[in-house]
Amino acid sequence: MKNLKLAAGEIGQKTVVRVGNIEIGRQFVVIAGPCGVETEEQTLETARAVKAAGADMLRGGAFKPRTSPYSFQGLGLRGLKILEKAREETGLPIVTEVIDPRDVSWVSEFADILQIGTRNMQNYTLLKEVGRSDRPVLLKRGMYSTLEEWLNCAEYILSEGNPNVILCERGIRTFEKYTRNTLDLSAVPSIKELTHLPIIVDPTHGTGRISLIGPMSLAAVAAGADGMIIEVHNNPKAALSDADQALTPQMFAELMKRVKPLKAFMEKLPE
Amino acid sequence: MKLEEIRKKIDKIDRELLVLLQERMGMALRSKKFKANVTDPNREEAVLTRAERLNLDLVERSFTRQLLKTIIEESKRLQEEDRKLVAFQGEHGAYGEVAARLLMPGGAFIPCLEFVDVFRGVEEGYLDLGVVPVENSLEGAVTQVNDLLTSTNLKVIGEARILVKHCLLATEATDYREIRLVYSHPQALAQCRNFLMRNNLEARPFYDTAGAAKMLARENPRAAAAISSRLCAELYDLEIIKEGIEDGPANTTRFLLLAREPFEGNGEKTSIIFATPHEAGRLYAVLRLFAENNINLTRIASMPLRSDPSNYCFFLDFEGSQKDEKAADVLKKMEKLTISLKILGSYPAHTEVPK
Repeated sequence: MKNLKLAAGEIGQKTVVRVGNIEIGRQFVVIAGPCGVETEEQTLETARAVKAAGADMLRGGAFKPRTSPYSFQGLGLRGLKILEKAREETGLPIVTEVIDPRDVSWVSEFADILQIGTRNMQNYTLLKEVGRSDRPVLLKRGMYSTLEEWLNCAEYILSEGNPNVILCERGIRTFEKYTRNTLDLSAVPSIKELTHLPIIVDPTHGTGRISLIGPMSLAAVAAGADGMIIEVHNNPKAALSDADQALTPQMFAELMKRVKPLKAFMEKLPE
Repeated sequence: MKLEEIRKKIDKIDRELLVLLQERMGMALRSKKFKANVTDPNREEAVLTRAERLNLDLVERSFTRQLLKTIIEESKRLQEEDRKLVAFQGEHGAYGEVAARLLMPGGAFIPCLEFVDVFRGVEEGYLDLGVVPVENSLEGAVTQVNDLLTSTNLKVIGEARILVKHCLLATEATDYREIRLVYSHPQALAQCRNFLMRNNLEARPFYDTAGAAKMLARENPRAAAAISSRLCAELYDLEIIKEGIEDGPANTTRFLLLAREPFEGNGEKTSIIFATPHEAGRLYAVLRLFAENNINLTRIASMPLRSDPSNYCFFLDFEGSQKDEKAADVLKKMEKLTISLKILGSYPAHTEVPK
C-alpha cells in the first residue's frame, strides 16, 4: 500500500493509546453504552450497569448521523453534559461521536475519545480537524470501504499530528440481508499486518442481531482484537435509536463473563 | 424586522427590567436602615408623581402609577421581613455572594463596589454583616482585605471555603459554536487561558466576573460569553456551556464573615493579628507559646505595617477558642511579647471539603 507513511508499521511495532489508566493496544478494552444519549436517567443508569459488569469506557452519542433527517438527531451540547456527569459518577472515560468540524474543539472538552462514524470515515475536513485535536480518535471503517481506503483515512489524522488513532471494524455491506452488515473479522489480523494501530470490533453494528453479538464478540477476542464496542441500553425497547440491537445490562454482564476468561485463555496459547 | 428578531429584543428587554428590579429591591432594603418606619407616604407620592411627569406616549400615566405602586408594595413587604443585610464586594453572583449564601442562608445579599464599602457599611450599622475574601489557594493573601482587618473593630464570626469553579456562560439564544469573545475579570481569564486557546476564543478583560455575566444578560452582545460562577447562571438566566474550565486544579478562596458583635458561642477557630518589636527572637517567642501548648496553627501570614513600613504585622489563625483555658493563657502571655495584639474573634471552622 502506497502513501501510508505514518499508518504502515513494521512487524512487532505497536501503538498504545493511553486514556487515564487504560492502555488500548496493550489490554483488551471494552467500551459499552447506549447508541444515543436520550435522558440523564437513561445514561446514568446504563453507565452504572456497564461499569458494574466490567466495561472500561462509556459510549453514547450526543450528535447522531441518521439515515433520515426526521429521526432523533441527538441532544447536542446537553447530551455532552450528561456524558460528563456519567463520567464524574462512574469514572468511565467517554467515547462519543463528532460529526461536524465546528464541534471538534467543543466535543474534545467533554469527551476522552472522539469517534468518527462509518458515514464520516471519508469526511476529510472532519478527519483533519480531529487530527489537530489532542484527543485520541476512534475511526470506524466505512461500510463500503477497503482496508486501504480506511488506512488512508487514518493517515489523514496521523499526518495532522495526532498519533492516537484506534481503528474499529464495524461490518461492511455485502449482498447478505440476514445481518445488518457483514462483520469482517479477517480485517483484525489483516490490519495487524498492515499497521501498528490498535483495532477494536463493533459486533453490534457488525451484525445488527442481538443473538449474534455474543458469538461474534468471542470471535473478535479469538481473532486478536484489542477491544470491542457494544451498545447497551437500560431499556432497549424504549430506545430512540438502534432499539433492536442493544443488549440489556443483564445480557451484557453475561457476555462479559465469557469474554474475560476467553481473553485470558487466548493469552496462554503458544504463539 | 422578523417576528423572531422582535421577540428576541423583547426577551432582552425583559431580562434588563428584571435585573434592574433586583437592584432596586436591594436599594429599598438598604434604605430601611435609615428610616424609622417602613411606610413613608410623602416619599411614595413623590416617586409616583415624578414618574408620571415623564411623557411616554405608549406607557399610559395610569399604568405607570399602577406599576410603580406594585413595585413599592413589594419593596415594603421585603423591608418588613427581618432579613439580615449581608454585604459582599462585586456584582450579584460574585464568589463573595456564593460565600455569603453559604454562611447566611436566607439573608439579603447586598453588592458593594469596594471592600472598604463592606467594612464601613457594617461598622456604621447600615449593613448587618459583611463577607470578605482573606486568602486564595493560588494567589495568596488578599492584601486590601488584610489591610482593612488591621484597622477595623469588626469581629470575625464565621468562615467559608469556596471552590472557585469557573463556568463558561452564554445567553440561551447563543450557539456555542458561534462564540468568539469571552468577557471576565483578568484573573479568571488568566486561569482559563488554555481553555480559551483550545477553542479559539478571544479574551476580553472586564472589571468583574459577575459583572461580565450581568452585562451578557443585559446587552446580549453577539458571539459573546462570560467566565463567572455557577450562581451567575441562575441569577442572570444564562446557560452553562461548560463548568470547571480552569486550566489548573480548582482553587479555593477563604472568606470571613464579619459582624459588629463577636460570635456568641465558643468557636473552634480563632484569628488574631499582632506585631512584635524589631528585636531578635521576638516572633519565635510568640510561636513557641503555641508550640508548647500544643495549639495547631492553620494560617500565618505577614504584611508590612502601614504605620511603620520597616516592621511587619502577622496574621495568625489557630485551632480552638479564645475562651479555651490554654489559648486564653497564651493570649495573655502574648500581650507582654507584642507591641500590638488584636483578637479578631473565635468562630465555627468550615472543615467541609468545598464542592
